[in-house]
Parts: sequence; C-alpha cells; structure tokens
Amino acid sequence: MKQGFYSILPFAIGAAAYGFAFGILAAQAGYPWWGVALMSFSVHAGSSQIVAVERFGVDGLVIGAALAGIALNLRYLGIVASLSAILRGVPLWQKLIAIHITGDENWALTMARHAKDPQIGAAFLIGSGLTMITVWTSSTALGALLGQQMPDLASYGLGFAFTAAFIAMARAMWRGKRNIAPWAATFAITVLLMKLGMQSAYAILLGSLAGVGVAAFLRRGTGGSIT
Amino acid sequence: MTLDHWLLIALLAVGAYGLRLAGLIGGQAILHNAKLKTLLDDLPGCLIVALVATSLADAAPLTWIAAAFALVVAIVSNNVVITMALGFAAMFGLQYFGVGV
Repeated sequence: MKQGFYSILPFAIGAAAYGFAFGILAAQAGYPWWGVALMSFSVHAGSSQIVAVERFGVDGLVIGAALAGIALNLRYLGIVASLSAILRGVPLWQKLIAIHITGDENWALTMARHAKDPQIGAAFLIGSGLTMITVWTSSTALGALLGQQMPDLASYGLGFAFTAAFIAMARAMWRGKRNIAPWAATFAITVLLMKLGMQSAYAILLGSLAGVGVAAFLRRGTGGSIT
Repeated sequence: MTLDHWLLIALLAVGAYGLRLAGLIGGQAILHNAKLKTLLDDLPGCLIVALVATSLADAAPLTWIAAAFALVVAIVSNNVVITMALGFAAMFGLQYFGVGV
C-alpha cells in the first residue's frame, strides 16, 4: 500500500493544480470551502465535478448540471469492471472503499504496474487512491478558500480556463479518425441548437446523443468494429 | 449553501458511486456487452465536445482564437494543466492587449 501511496505523487501534483483551479470556480458558483471539500470527498470525480459546477454556474439548473456530470462518469462502469481480477479475493468492505477512491490516474497507474508485475494489486490501488482523494479534497477546498476572497475572476477569463480544460480532456479521449464525424456532428449540432435559443444543458445532451448516433451508424457500416 | 448546492452534491455523489458499484457488480458482463461498450466509448468524448461547443457558441471571435490556441497546446502537450494555464494566459493576454476582435 505504501508503494502505491508514494508512486502516485507526481500525478497527484498535477491533480492538485487542477483541483485548486476547480475550487476557485466552485467558490465563484457559491460553494463555501467546506462544501467543496464535501463534494470532492463524496463524489471524487474531477472532470464530472468541474463540468457540473461550471454548468450550474452558467444556468443554475441542478438536474442539467448533474446529468452532464454523471454522464461523463459513465466511463467508471468500464474502469471498475476492468478491476475485477485485481479486486478478486479482497474483503467486500475494502472493495467498496477501493472503487470510491479509484480515479483515472491511480487506475491507469495500477493497471500499468499490474501488467508488468502481477504482485501489484489491490493494496497498490488503495494506497494510490488514498493519496489521490486526500490531495483532491484538500486542493479543491484550498482553492475555494482563496477563491472566496478573490474578485470576480470570470471577468479575467477564468471561465475560459475550463473551456481549455475541456479541450484538453477531449484531446485525451481522442481515439483516432473514427472520432472525426461523431465529434464534428456533436459540435455543429450543439452550436446550432444554442443559436436557436436552446438552453445549454439540453443542447449538450441532444448534441452528444446525435454524435453517439453518428458513431453507432458508422460502426454498423464497418461491421460493428469497435476498435 | 442553498438547497440547490446541496442537491447537486448529493446527485453527483449518488451517481458517481452508483456507476462504480454497477461496474463492480456487472464486471465482465459490462466489458463484453458490445452495445454498452459503444456507449461507454463514445458518449464521454461527445459530451466534452458538446461542452466546448456551448462555451464557444455565443462567444466573441477572441474566444475562438484562444480556443484554437488551446487546441494546439492540447494536441502538442496532451496535458490538462498545461492547456488550462496557457489557454488562460492566452485569453488574458488577448483581453489585456485589447485585440480588437
């Protein structure tokens, strides 16, 4: 466990910078520092929190913001499912904690280390997860604490920092040419719906579903290949 | 915090843990369901692109220029923190120097 605790530190530093910026955003959306800490500890899903709070800050719609955040977390179905072998034989209570403290970074590091050394398993995942949730909770709370005392940072372009973060997240999700048509359709339809006056929460949902539809149609054309 | 602030935390927490729990219970069945795998593969990317689209839809040309710059940074660095920092710096710089677009 100790090995996992320390091995994840370089990734944790990156998450702390990101968490600090998120804390500022959340404070500007009306969250006190302890509310941000509560959210980070209980949700523990960075991109989902950022998307939901950014949406909430823009249009104040809780359901739309939560749906966008939760939908972004669908990947955790696959992430946790892929841990089946690593979590086999671990007591149930440890499994229930391990899945909560599993995030993108410590999952990827554990899987990579496990592939090289099968001895690396649940203890490493839990150790690295404890580091990540501690760093994430404290860095977001600190950002909110300082954010409460700052002027309206939106006027300095803080909102754009998160647009840039979304662009970087899309880059990380890029899986090659097969993404071009679905992503282009999503972008064009979402912009069109916004121009027609639709609220952003609904435009995001319909635009994304249109993109998924295009992807499904293209897969059918290639005999269902999903690689 | 208002009721809406609390509600957002509760919905996100229940949703996030629910998905993790479904992954734990569903395990291999999820990984081998082709339709579900399609959705899991495609929806997150499309959602993120849609979020970028809503941020830019009604934005000034200056924001589109900064977004194009952030895209180049993202392609080269593939790093969220670097893209955020340089994207913010570009936006701030464009506003500060009063680029007339």
